[in-house]
Amino acid sequence: MQKIKLIDIFVAFLYSGLILLGGGYVILPILQEELVKKRNWISNDELTDYYAISQSLPGLISINIAILTGYKLRGKSGAVVGVFGITFFAFWMIVALSSVITKYTFNPYVQGAFWAIEIAVVILIISAIREMWEKSVKDLSTFVIFFLTLVIMLTTKISPAYIIIASVFIGIGYKSYTQAKNREVDND
Amino acid sequence: MIDINTTYNLIKEFFQIGMFSFGGGYSTLPFLLNLTHHYNWFSAQELTQMIAVATITPGPVAINVATYAGIKAGGILGAFIVTTSEVLPEFIIGLVVAKLLKKFSENFYVQSALWALKPTSCALLAYVALQLFNNNIVNNNNLSWGIIIFIILLLISILKPKNPLWYITFSAITGILFVYFNIINI
Repeated sequence: MQKIKLIDIFVAFLYSGLILLGGGYVILPILQEELVKKRNWISNDELTDYYAISQSLPGLISINIAILTGYKLRGKSGAVVGVFGITFFAFWMIVALSSVITKYTFNPYVQGAFWAIEIAVVILIISAIREMWEKSVKDLSTFVIFFLTLVIMLTTKISPAYIIIASVFIGIGYKSYTQAKNREVDND
Repeated sequence: MIDINTTYNLIKEFFQIGMFSFGGGYSTLPFLLNLTHHYNWFSAQELTQMIAVATITPGPVAINVATYAGIKAGGILGAFIVTTSEVLPEFIIGLVVAKLLKKFSENFYVQSALWALKPTSCALLAYVALQLFNNNIVNNNNLSWGIIIFIILLLISILKPKNPLWYITFSAITGILFVYFNIINI
């Protein structure tokens, strides 16, 4: 197989980043079209695996997929150009827009628009919470984790980083404990 | 220009965000909201505006928000520092995992950690929603209209879910009309 050019990897992710609008949940169909159907670089199964793995990694899903795909195609340099591609427009569009927005913040119509948009943002977050809730809170123990996290966040100013670290230990501790207990039952 | 101290804090905070945020497009928001308690880089209201702008601009939302937050904290240089610091830990971890692939995600410890991480990230986002609800709707001059729009949008999102862009466009038009007809006080 001919070696895939780095510039092509960059362009593929640049384009995916450009048409990626309104939240990370639409990344899968975009990459299916670009990487699987159009360019035939990876199989659909590989992409689905990358997507699943990316969800178990810290950071952004789309960037993780760019790293995994870029690495598969051209090693470390492939991963680097993949990340540059997918973040390019996200970065420069905001740089360009921020000065425009600051200029018009005192316009009453812009302020009115933002007054209502700020309500819409809360709705967008609630929709994301509902989607996550269905996939995560399935029994009493996961509900307790949810509840405790929320209470700690609302009553203290602790960094979420510590909560994430604690959660990793609680997950491993609890699952190791239940696994050991199940083994005991089996032995009896 | 930004001073050494701010630069150090930006790198430290956003490296942490890249390292510890789990669970999709909005997972960096609890961290960013937490930053508003400790630094004066941006306010909770500015964070909400960043999310709105990020939703209507191309690219991963978290990168949009990080860039915007960086600009607020220290101009274009700040934006560059912030996005690089946020992507770096993810990049290092990604390269390690790229060699392990499925062995990683099927690992018992990874799965156990994720079992707890999922409800945790869900709760962190619920915290963000409650805080922003309080900030943007309750502590606002136009409380009753805010509640009405909130309930209408919430019903739409539950009964007939739409694309995120739709909510932003619909509310922007509503807000402009409300100012035009003097319904709300800005």
